Amino acid sequence: MSGDAANGHAAGGGGPAGEGLEGQHALGVRCEGLSFWYDEGATRIAALRGVDLTLAPGASVALLGPTGSGKSTLLQLLRGLLAPDEGRVLIDGLAAGEDGYEERERRIGLVFQMPEMQLFAATCRDDVAFGPRQLGWSAAEVDDAVTSALAAVGLPADRFGARHPYSLSGGEQRRLALAGVLAMRPGLLLLDEPFVSLDPASRRDLEAILRGLRATGMGLVLATHDVDRAYGLCDARVVLDEGVVVDAGPWRFGAGGEDALLSHRLKLPFVVELWRRLGRAAAEAPPELAAAAEALA
Amino acid sequence: MSLIEIRGLRYRYAGADDDALHDLDLTVSEGEFVAVVGANGSGKSTLARLLGGLARPAGAARAAVCGHDLCDHEGHFAVRRDVGVLFQNPDNQLVGSTVEEDLAFGLENLALPSPEIARRVDEMLALYGLEALRTREPHLLSGGQRQRTALAGVLAVPRRVLVLDEPTAMLDPAGRDEVLAAVRREADHGLTVVFVTQEMDEVLMADRVVALASGRAVFDGAPAALFAERALLLSLSLGLPPAAEVGLALMERGVLAELTLTLDDLVAALQAGRP
Amino acid sequence: MRMAIAQYYPRASPIHRLDPRCKVVAVAALVVGLFLRSSFAALAVYGLVAVAGLLLSGVPLGWVARGLRPVVWLLVLTFVVQLLFAPGPAFYTLGPLHLSLRGLAIAGYLSLRLVVLVVASLLLTLTTPPIALTDALAWLSRPLRRLRVPTEELALMVTIALRFIPTLMQEIDTIMKAQRARGASFTRGGPLRRARALVPVLVPLFILSFRRADELALAMEARCYLPGAPRTRLHPLHAHRRDAVVLVLVAALVVLAELI
Repeated sequence: MSGDAANGHAAGGGGPAGEGLEGQHALGVRCEGLSFWYDEGATRIAALRGVDLTLAPGASVALLGPTGSGKSTLLQLLRGLLAPDEGRVLIDGLAAGEDGYEERERRIGLVFQMPEMQLFAATCRDDVAFGPRQLGWSAAEVDDAVTSALAAVGLPADRFGARHPYSLSGGEQRRLALAGVLAMRPGLLLLDEPFVSLDPASRRDLEAILRGLRATGMGLVLATHDVDRAYGLCDARVVLDEGVVVDAGPWRFGAGGEDALLSHRLKLPFVVELWRRLGRAAAEAPPELAAAAEALA
Repeated sequence: MSLIEIRGLRYRYAGADDDALHDLDLTVSEGEFVAVVGANGSGKSTLARLLGGLARPAGAARAAVCGHDLCDHEGHFAVRRDVGVLFQNPDNQLVGSTVEEDLAFGLENLALPSPEIARRVDEMLALYGLEALRTREPHLLSGGQRQRTALAGVLAVPRRVLVLDEPTAMLDPAGRDEVLAAVRREADHGLTVVFVTQEMDEVLMADRVVALASGRAVFDGAPAALFAERALLLSLSLGLPPAAEVGLALMERGVLAELTLTLDDLVAALQAGRP
Repeated sequence: MRMAIAQYYPRASPIHRLDPRCKVVAVAALVVGLFLRSSFAALAVYGLVAVAGLLLSGVPLGWVARGLRPVVWLLVLTFVVQLLFAPGPAFYTLGPLHLSLRGLAIAGYLSLRLVVLVVASLLLTLTTPPIALTDALAWLSRPLRRLRVPTEELALMVTIALRFIPTLMQEIDTIMKAQRARGASFTRGGPLRRARALVPVLVPLFILSFRRADELALAMEARCYLPGAPRTRLHPLHAHRRDAVVLVLVAALVVLAELI
């Protein structure tokens, strides 16, 4: 369980991000005609309407959309925390109720918005161990999972394991909460606004960790308003507005899709905006600019 | 005229081993817009609280804010009347059960006559575009609407200085734009602003920026001057505005001659430099 | 996410427009009156007053029924127990059970009284926003200030607590979902296991609430709040002639009900 696939480093020290997490079987997920309504008093409000979506194993996808467009609902449906009113979620081609579905559903990791608010144990180690213990793993397996998850987020167990979660800085707490999900050895990681209310240094640390996880072959879905970070981390984009998928496609310099973002009240990644303002076609982009885009990401 | 004149300010939290602020100096003139930056734990939020009279300094050679002495028991209460503080989490600073009740809260505490409160609340609702949300409950507002309500609530009591403590950190881009536009408008109308932030593009809104490290001011000057000091920025673990980040990458590749701070400047520089 | 406590039904009816203090006093008078005299005639008077109030308020009956739902079991229980155990000559006997006419009368009376009681209180909460209710209670308990009871502060506390109930509900929902995503189950096992499963929900909730209280206190101070200092209100309570009329009317009806 070791390798050199990871290329990111967490600033808090420790090994390369993702070390010990390689070789997890990546999950492929498909939604078919997914709809979901919320009850708001006497009225029902559609959060999602007929969402079709395919997430290939190991793909990294930016889920974009204005606030209230249904991003969080979609993530919770994918993880099975909400049941769809219409449509279904297929994991590796299996539907709910089929043999092996539940085991796979448990391997979809969901990191909530501000996940540090869910820390509760007296030590970092115990908090991260919560998930694996719920899965009924043996003590040795739990121990192994916790140690590699802590290392993956740059909080090595020997230095941080015995500390109280609330003695950590805000950025460290966020990474600890991520470790709690990674310890369950996910084959697909869903993140809801992972960068919100972090300081710039912590954002850079987290970004490096996610980059490392992606390099291990783990699939990522990043629901975020931080288009610049999503642009650097994701190969594909899905745009939701009012519960409907309004745009989807590859996401890299020159791949297009700017109009869809702009017409749904979203911002463009800085370099894309810059190039647009310069009024030149993407094909003409000087290598320097593309390289600068890389540097920025 | 200086509204804030502070020399050698010290503060220590109860039970802490070290001062959160050491010998801090800060001068802010009337009508000035000053940004305060620094890593986590550098003392930014502590400074914001002290300026708002929400805690008393351990000591200072001089600590005058709007003519009140912060070190003085009476003074640190009196300064709350003149200095408004807006915090990060809008959810935890809305007291009223509706938007209008919240705007009224500060005025009610000053025991103003009800008709006067009602008049001022109407004025703020109009100014902040919140009329349609007058009787809306806080938990049904968007993040941007909540923080605008909180800001209107802070400024419903006429203030001489507005202190903002990372007011956009928890907002989405649309909400952030809403709040920044409101702050910009207040500054343009002459309100003195002290803006604590981690966002480098927000620093560009300011006339002057003060950088804190371990409770001391280590930089005081124009935003452009701060962004020119790469070593200092790195040691403070601060970043650059996106335009400067890309600009720097382009400079390293010889495409750009000078560092640009905004998208407009970067576009202009690249267009001018086009062969 | 609607709480039973937030069942206020906004409308512009004559009942909604009454001063909340007047409504509190009137409902209190009805409730006390109901308990002072047990007769079907008195019950009929109070019942008519409550029904008239309800009709005037314009609150849909379906909404009122929702408010009655929590007491249905209590109602059934009261009726059955009284019917079965009240003494008196039996008109029908089935094994150890004997039903008497007197039992039927008592059971009917007590159940009806409970219905009138609940409808009268609903009339208050359905037509009065929680904040106005808090203000009214604070005003009415003013004499307690002489005994150094901080009634104004208590009222503000209740107001703030009400304001944060929906936020708290959202928070609990999120934390529970997040722990479920980490494999927690809140429905598995016996009572002990279920109670233990709540630890990962309650600990973060307490910590969040303490942090919230801290930040809120700071924000309140920043807005010039000083406990104990005199405050005014944006919407002060105003008693009108109609409130006096209602109070006199209710008083007359109570006297009537107690005398017949």
